[in-house]
This record gives sequence, C-alpha cells and structure tokens, in this order.
Amino acid sequence: MTSQRRRAVVLLLAPITLLLGAFFLIPLGIMVVYSLLEPGLYGGVVWSFYPYSYGRVFGWPLGGGEEFEPLYIQIILNSVYYAVITVIVSLIVCYPVAFWVSRMGPVAKNLVLFAITLPFFANLLVRIYAWLLLLRPTGAINTALMSLGLIDAPLNMIFTEFAVIVGLVYVLIPFMFLPIYASVERLDWSLVQASQDLGATPFQTFRRVILPLTAPGIAGGAVIVFIPALGNFIVPAFLGGSKVQMTGNVIERQFLQSRNWPFGSTLAMIVMASVLVLILLYALWMRRAGKSQPVGEVGHA
Amino acid sequence: MPRQRLSPGWAALNLYGAAFLVFLYAPLALITVYSFNANAINMAVWEGFTLDWYRTLFGMQPAGAAFDAAFTENPDRIFQVLRNSLVVALAASAISTVIGTATALATARYDFIGKRIYQGLLFLPMMMPDIVLGIALLIFFVGVGFKLSLATIIIGHCTFLSSYVYIIVAARLAGMDNTLEIASADLGAGPLTTFRRVTLPLIMPGVIGGFLLAFIISLDDVVITYFIAGVDTQTLPLFILAMMRRGIRPQINALAVLLIAFSFVVASAGLYLRSRKN
Repeated sequence: MTSQRRRAVVLLLAPITLLLGAFFLIPLGIMVVYSLLEPGLYGGVVWSFYPYSYGRVFGWPLGGGEEFEPLYIQIILNSVYYAVITVIVSLIVCYPVAFWVSRMGPVAKNLVLFAITLPFFANLLVRIYAWLLLLRPTGAINTALMSLGLIDAPLNMIFTEFAVIVGLVYVLIPFMFLPIYASVERLDWSLVQASQDLGATPFQTFRRVILPLTAPGIAGGAVIVFIPALGNFIVPAFLGGSKVQMTGNVIERQFLQSRNWPFGSTLAMIVMASVLVLILLYALWMRRAGKSQPVGEVGHA
Repeated sequence: MPRQRLSPGWAALNLYGAAFLVFLYAPLALITVYSFNANAINMAVWEGFTLDWYRTLFGMQPAGAAFDAAFTENPDRIFQVLRNSLVVALAASAISTVIGTATALATARYDFIGKRIYQGLLFLPMMMPDIVLGIALLIFFVGVGFKLSLATIIIGHCTFLSSYVYIIVAARLAGMDNTLEIASADLGAGPLTTFRRVTLPLIMPGVIGGFLLAFIISLDDVVITYFIAGVDTQTLPLFILAMMRRGIRPQINALAVLLIAFSFVVASAGLYLRSRKN
C-alpha cells in the first residue's frame, strides 16, 4: 500500500517537476549565468566571467570597458516609484469598494464580484489601447472637455507619468481588489460593534480595529500589484512614450535592439532579486503574524 | 451588524461603487462605440454607424462610399495569426490542465517530503514578472538550440498556466471531503477506478473552469509570447501589438471588440464553473 501510494505521488508529480525544472528553474539559472558573461561584439556572449555589467549599473565592480552609468539606477528607482504609486492609488480606490461589495445581498454580491473580475480577462493591449484613445490630444476626454468649453486647448495627458500610472492602475486593479475583499469579507463585525459600544470614534474604530484586521489583504494586494507593476514594459511603452522609461523598457531594448543579452540579464536579475526579496518578506510577515491569506487568486497581468 | 442602507454614508458608498464599475468598463465601452463609428480621422466625433472596420479587417470590401483602400488588412495574415493563437491556447491549456490537476491531486491527497517546497514553487511562475520569465525562456531556447516556433510558445505558456490550473483545482479539492473516495477504496476499487469514477467527476467543474481560464490567459498573453515567438509564428496579441505600433487605426477597435467579446464569454464560463458548488 505504502509503495503504491509512493508510486502515485511520483507519477502525479513527475510532469510538474519536469516542466518547472526544465523550463522555469533552468532558464532562470541560465539567466543568472548570462548576467555574468561578457557581451560579444555582434550580439552573442563570450564565455568568460564578467561581473562588469553589474558595475555599469551599481558602479562596482568596473572593468572590461564598462563605465558606471547612473542613468540605470535612476530608471530602476523610477520604476520602484511608479510601482509604489500604483499600489497606493489602487489601494485607495479599492478599499471602499471592498466594503461596498461585502455588505451586499448574495445575488448582487456575486454579480458585482464577477463584474470586477471580468475585465482582467480583456486583453492587456486592448485595455492599454483604450487609454490611448481616452488620453491623447484628440481623444475622448479632451474632445469632451473642449466641447463643454471647460478648456481651450487639449490637455497634455498622454506620454506623461500620469498616463503611465493610470494605465498601471487600470491594468492591475483586480489584483488589489480580490485580496482586500477576501479580508474584508472575513472581518468580524461584532468587533467593530464592540469598539463603537466602548465609545471609540469612527476614526479610532477604523485605525485600531478595521485596519489591523484587513492588513493581510492590504499586504497581499500590495505585493501582487507591486510585482507586475515593477517589471512592466507594455504600459510605459504605449502610454509613456519616450518620456517615461521603466526597467522593463530597458531590458526589452537590450534583448531586441542593442542585443546586449548579458546587460539585459543583469537588469532582469535586479528585478527578479527585488521580487524574491519582497515575496520572502511578505511570507515571513504572514508567518509571524500567524495569518493566512490566499495570494495569487488571479495572478499574471 | 444592522444594515444601514439608507444612511447618507451608504448612499455615498453606493455612488462610489457605481463609479468604480464605470471606471472599469467605460474604456472598453468606448472602444466598442468607436468600432462602429464611420469617422476614421477623429474617432471622438460620431459620424454615423458603419461595419466597415469589421469588414475590412477580414479583407472584405468596405460598404461606405468614402474610404481609403490602404486601410484594408490582408485577410490571409489575420486568419494565420488567429490559427496560431488558437493552436497555442488549446495545446497549452490542455497540457497545463493535465499537469496542474495531477499536481493538485498529489498535494491534496498525499503527504510527501518537500510538499511545502512544491506548493511555494508553484506560486513563483505566476509571481515572476512576465518580462523576466520571457527573457529567461528566450535565452534558454536560443542557448539549447530550440528554434523559436509555436512549440516554444506552448512550452512557455505551460510554465505559468499549470500553476493557475493547480490553484483552481487544489481549491476545489480542499473544499471537498474525501469520504466518497475512502468509501470507494473500501469497496475494493483501485486508485485509478476511484479517480475515474469518484474524484474526477467531483472535481470536473474546477478542472474545466481551470482549462477555460488558462485558455483565455494563453490566448491573451502578450509579454512572454513577445519574447519567445519566432518571426513566422505571430499570435493575435502580437499582431495587435504590431498594429498599435503603426499607429491608431479604426480596424484595431474592431479587432479589440471581437477579442474582448470572445475573452469575456469564455472567461465567464470558466469563472462560473470554478465557483460552482456541487
């Protein structure tokens, strides 16, 4: 019996082990190696240890003709900044909505939950394209404002930081909503009632009772919005124009235009390392707080 | 907690919630309206209803009188990318459904060393930014000498779709008690028979739901496909990407509307099955 069960486990796990081993872990491992190889003259790599792509970003170690270019740190920090703003904006937008949905009757609740989840399945490009149509000088918003006589000349909205953040928020907001909603749904309202009965002001009740109880949802949402925002390159490519650069845009160019794969891998390594550290911190925090929260209900964007 | 629906606070919250839904759907509604607007120069100004953008998308002659023939798409091209996308999405979601379901069965019904490692590892492909996964696969495929093709796209999609299916099926298995499976085993059924006759029918809605959601995520994937598609293996989203790079044209609206409509229908079915109770 035991050997039969063991055989079953081996059989059931063999496909995923092969898949993730061969086409996930090994490729990521090769990427690590690539980031430490010398870029070839015509796009390939030279198989020699070459830590200088990191020097180009961080200023150390330098050698092999690479120079420190502070531009890249700037772009990485900008990306972190855009991702953080995206998290904050989508949190502020979603939080009240979660309470709105949680107090609905069962039928309305299911319908609205469905309506909020569905746009995630609209094509990413189409959702970005819609904002191109809304924000450009001859777009819907400018045309409406001008025909109402509120403005004389089109507002300059497209190809700005504003456009990139709107795009990121729009694309990633379902990831924020679902975890927050899950924790609001589990909120024990008798605790809120108790806090009110004991004379707490609404603000005190919010800060001391509601906020701590929904913190796991907020943290979960923040992590799964921050990660895809950080590595995004499609949103800035179309809504940021040449003005707004994120790390993803630089990585894409290194692979498809400059053909400096080691340097592209270096930047991707920095993104991946940040993501892994963030996930680790989140997992540790959750474990220490003894909380459980389903993360990644929806996943990828 | 009594429901205080009529208080001003709740009225404001209702208004806010409605505004949120408008924010989610207005951009998509806008494309839909534009796709029927005869005005090709300034889409924000309505100039009458037309189906020309849908017609020219598939190489049909426009019905409108004033029309720039340069807008017509090459129909062979669009049918080819459509076929590519469907082949990839079907193959990738079918393979991922098998792999994801098998993994979910292992973690839900068996105890083994390293279970927590597997469970953690399965989250990583979904959490990894698409661009990192995309370039890692590109380096790998080029490095080992795989020609970039539909097969490389299918493999790439499987790496993250399996995790989606796993999560959906594992959730279903977790919410299901295993008395029927134990009863089946007690009555002398072998593990395979129990699986085929008891477990599979019970988890079937989750499996099909997972398959449909994986199908749509694969069909709509842009970033990972972007890096691992070969020159002659363009998919529909890459085709739209190329169209968008050439500038805004009314045919993009028409194609976008068709794609949204299809995605919404399949995803609705998937979401319904995923949440359905027995």
